Formats: sequence, structure tokens, C-alpha cells
Amino acid sequence: MAQTFLKLDTGVTGTLSTSNYVQGGISVADQWRLTTTFTNAADPIASNLERVDTTGQGTIGSAMTESSGIFTFPSTGIYKIEFIIQCLLNGDTRFHKGQILVTTDNSSYNSVTSSRAFIANLSNNTFGSCIATTYFDVTNTSNCKVKFSISVEDSSTSTLGSSTENETSFTFTRLGDT
Amino acid sequence: MDRVTGRPNHIEDALCQMHSNQWFTWTDSKNKIYANLRLTEKVGVDGNIVDNLVTELPTETAINTKLTELQTAWDNAND
Repeated sequence: MAQTFLKLDTGVTGTLSTSNYVQGGISVADQWRLTTTFTNAADPIASNLERVDTTGQGTIGSAMTESSGIFTFPSTGIYKIEFIIQCLLNGDTRFHKGQILVTTDNSSYNSVTSSRAFIANLSNNTFGSCIATTYFDVTNTSNCKVKFSISVEDSSTSTLGSSTENETSFTFTRLGDT
Repeated sequence: MDRVTGRPNHIEDALCQMHSNQWFTWTDSKNKIYANLRLTEKVGVDGNIVDNLVTELPTETAINTKLTELQTAWDNAND
């Protein structure tokens, strides 16, 4: 949706009916999270996802929809996508990788961002985290979709999930028109 | 799991160590008890959604035994 702003010439005064107001700024800000921890890889993360709902958390506009790990956007536009990964291992690992994969034809996905955490075992069970982020030009909500994956070096590494606070999370913010 | 110390303290910690990938889910993710534990139908592997190869839930006893094992290992390592 295009956003319109009212600009008045200097010295011009008057009243604009509230029915004519057009809200500017962010029109979609949505956030999801992994509710349940898993070990080893998931490509894509296909289940145990929920829209944030803890007291105090909020969103703006229409929600993303999700099915088997495939996220669909509520409207076209340029979106910032942020994938925060939290992981844990009892040991050392060179990488725990999160990827954002997008499609523009609702069929073939390509990775547009990857981020890696490493864990040096400071004590029994050590945490790590990393962030992957990208902008995505959603020109068509039927064809432009996104999914997320985790790959690991050590198959014992866990990706952390929670249904009460964001640990591994997915944030979608519409910045403007396509 | 205790998010400060890393000590296993929940059956989910044991479940994660029994099989890989997203093989289990909860009917109520706000109430993660054994009665609400279910197998997922599908998991993501190499970019595809495939059948979950885990076809049977472990017993509650087996999960609790695994949790105790993890806790003992953690306690021994942090004595």
C-alpha cells in the first residue's frame, strides 16, 4: 500500500477530517519464534513455530502466514527479514549456521544470507548465537516466500526454542513499497 | 534447561538428545508435559519436507531416565 503524507504550505491552517488521515511509517512488523528446541540440522525449520504472544509483545498490521516452514507475506513491499539463532552444545563446534532462503517463483529457493555461530566449550553446555538479515523485494505475495534453515558441524548442537520468550526468532518488517 | 547454568531440567532437554531434527511437537507449547507430547508428521531435510522417520514416542519412563542421565553428567562435570 502506498503511503501518503499531507504537506501544508507555510501559513496555511485548517482542519483535516480524521477520515482523511493516512497513517505513515511501518505498516507491517511481525515476529515469530521457534517454540521447541531441536538438535542437529533442520532444512527447512518446518514446525514448532508461533507468532509471538507473550504479555507485552506486539506487532503491526497483518500477520505473516506459515505452513510447513514456508512464510507468506501479507502484502507486497520491501521487507527486512531478521533471523536470530541461539544454540547450545556440550563441546566445541566451528559453526552452527542459520540461512534465510527466498523464492520469487514459489518453487526454487536460494540462500540470500547465512550467519554462523561458533561454540568454545567454556563449561558443560555453552551457548552461542548469530543473526542473519536481509532485505527482500516482495513483488508478488503468491510467488515471493521465505524459509529458514539450520545446518551444523556437530550433530549434537541444539537450536534453542521457547514459547515464552524469543530465543530463535524471525522478524519481518515492511519498510516500503516494492 | 536452566538458561543460566545450562543444567538440563525439563523433559524437552532429554527429547532433544534422543533423536535429531524436529521429530516431536507439543499440542500446547505453553504446557510441555508428557501428555501433550506428539510426533511431528514431517521434518525438513536437505531442503525438502519428508516423513518423520521417528514413528514411536518414547515412554515417559525412558524420557525421565534420559533426563536423569543428562543431569548426572552435568552435575559430575560441574562439581
